[in-house]
Amino acid sequence: MLDVAEAAAGARPRWPLRRPDTRTLTRAGVIGVLLAFVLFALPQLLSLYYVDAMTQVAVYSMVTLGLGVLVGRVGLVSLGQVAVLAIGAWTAARLLFATSMPYPLVLLEAGVITMVAGMVIGLPALRLRGLYLALITLMLAGAITVVLATVNFPNGGHGFLGYNGSSVHIPPIRRPGIAASDPAYFRFAVVVAALMFLLAAVHLRTRPGRAWAAIRQSEPAALAAGINTTLYKLWALALASFITGVAGGVLAGAVHYLYSIDFPTQDSITLLAVVLMGGAYSLWGAVIAALLLQLLPALLNNWGVSADWLTILFGLGVLQVLTTAPAGLADQVPKDLARLGRLLRALARRLAPSGGPE
Amino acid sequence: MPSWQDFQPFIVSGLALGGVYALSGVGMVVLYQATGVVYLAFGAVGAMGALIAWSLINAGVPGWVGWLACVAFAGVVTLGYGMVFGPALAKRDPLIKAVATLGLTLVLFGLMDLLWTTSGGESRAITLPTDNSGFMIGQVQVNWTQVLGLGVGVAITVGIGAFLRYTKLGTAMRAMAGDREITATLGVPVRRVEAAAWLGCGVLAGVAGLLLADLVALDATTLTFLVISSLAAALIARLRSITLTFVAAIVVGVVHDLLTPVQSLTNYRDMTPFVLAAVALLVLSRRRVMTSSREEM
Repeated sequence: MLDVAEAAAGARPRWPLRRPDTRTLTRAGVIGVLLAFVLFALPQLLSLYYVDAMTQVAVYSMVTLGLGVLVGRVGLVSLGQVAVLAIGAWTAARLLFATSMPYPLVLLEAGVITMVAGMVIGLPALRLRGLYLALITLMLAGAITVVLATVNFPNGGHGFLGYNGSSVHIPPIRRPGIAASDPAYFRFAVVVAALMFLLAAVHLRTRPGRAWAAIRQSEPAALAAGINTTLYKLWALALASFITGVAGGVLAGAVHYLYSIDFPTQDSITLLAVVLMGGAYSLWGAVIAALLLQLLPALLNNWGVSADWLTILFGLGVLQVLTTAPAGLADQVPKDLARLGRLLRALARRLAPSGGPE
Repeated sequence: MPSWQDFQPFIVSGLALGGVYALSGVGMVVLYQATGVVYLAFGAVGAMGALIAWSLINAGVPGWVGWLACVAFAGVVTLGYGMVFGPALAKRDPLIKAVATLGLTLVLFGLMDLLWTTSGGESRAITLPTDNSGFMIGQVQVNWTQVLGLGVGVAITVGIGAFLRYTKLGTAMRAMAGDREITATLGVPVRRVEAAAWLGCGVLAGVAGLLLADLVALDATTLTFLVISSLAAALIARLRSITLTFVAAIVVGVVHDLLTPVQSLTNYRDMTPFVLAAVALLVLSRRRVMTSSREEM
């Protein structure tokens, strides 16, 4: 999947969809094995506590994927992605209470509705660029948070909002029939997340991906090259909103009960922090970001360490990434490992000057 | 619809809130003009300063020492950040500079949550001596803290305006807003001017934190994210004019508080700054230039 980054960078004219070479096939194989391990072995190995945490990782990997595409591929920084996630979760919860539609269909609808909402909000905002776009998304996220706090999440009530403030027995948000247990729902979430990554990867390897790469480099140049920049920026926003909306739908079933305090504005900031730390230029970065955001707090909680340390760590991480390692952990770790490997080889050569490896 | 009587006290509290927003907004505009940084940690340093002041006062230190500590903390942290990360990020996009200050925000936010935990349901408050006395305008009770809020807002706006226009340092800052490289070529000590701007902005953050802790609430989350509201005022002024920032801040503060007695809108009043800023930005950006060498709207 890493060569997606190279393809999207537009440096070489390649047609990756037509003729996969051996490297691509190897990578696909590795990803397949990894996915199989996550799907079948992981739920057996982990306790229920960590299965839940990993479900959250799967959900948030979609959110970080959406933001990663926006930040890393198109150069649009959004500080309101948690609000978008909340819209997706709200829509899915409302649909799940109101209808008996199959869960995947609800996910699709939640994604589409969130996509439309994102585009309606985003179309005027796309006139702005860079700093101003980031700040206006922060403003809009603040506004959506205020609305959510008043409207509340559906809890099985009637009317359009589906909220019943005096309800005593709140029914849980349902899960798909085949994924009622926590390990099964974890598998379901992973499959949905994998599909979303596939969707994003296909986008990045085809025409939109190349257009986004051009826009990120220079918008005037992209325009001069005949790229409809507004269309492709809106497309990116639509894709990110769709993926985030689907993530909201998966989140609704994962937690059973949704509250507006679970979607504070500051989480959008933390989200951007982990996406930058994980690495916005690679799809692996999204996975790393989700692990940082959801698995690390679960681990710390288990060890009795305050989650505040994590907030501090994320803050320092952002500063470090922005000043010294702009491509994030997904880029930095392999480089550091390679450096470590070279160092070890040099050391081995020095220790055994005659018979060391080449 | 409530009667005029019901609205009157909210005009007073709105003006006070608007004054503090103006103070924060002006601080951020000046720093942005001088260094190109939108200082999103403005609220967080103020909040931490206010919490330090609260701890000191609770430990028996006289009030004014606590207030000074608050302002000094905010000033020193801001200056320190500016000295370390200002030069490191000087050539980067304004967006990157702004996001980096979010890093500082997260660090401070985590520290505050760690050191002044709220899990016990402990409520803190800072009371200034100006809270207890006041006067009446018509039938509306006005306390001196509210007067102080508006007064400081006006004083800072006028003071900074005069400073930028008439002093050497102020002129240098305005020159840097035009072009950093050329200003440096002309022999202005760019680093020192930037340091002054950082320190000034930090001091304003401390003052704003103290006043907001009294007028709104002494709570890390609230105070940290009130910066978004004051940023709205600065954004309406396109991070350029301090006069416009002041006017926008007053409007935001007054509209916010005037919505309080309106039954159907009172829950949505916190949206005021966001909605006003969003609408203003979208209207102002109608005529957009595709190619520009600088990050302008």
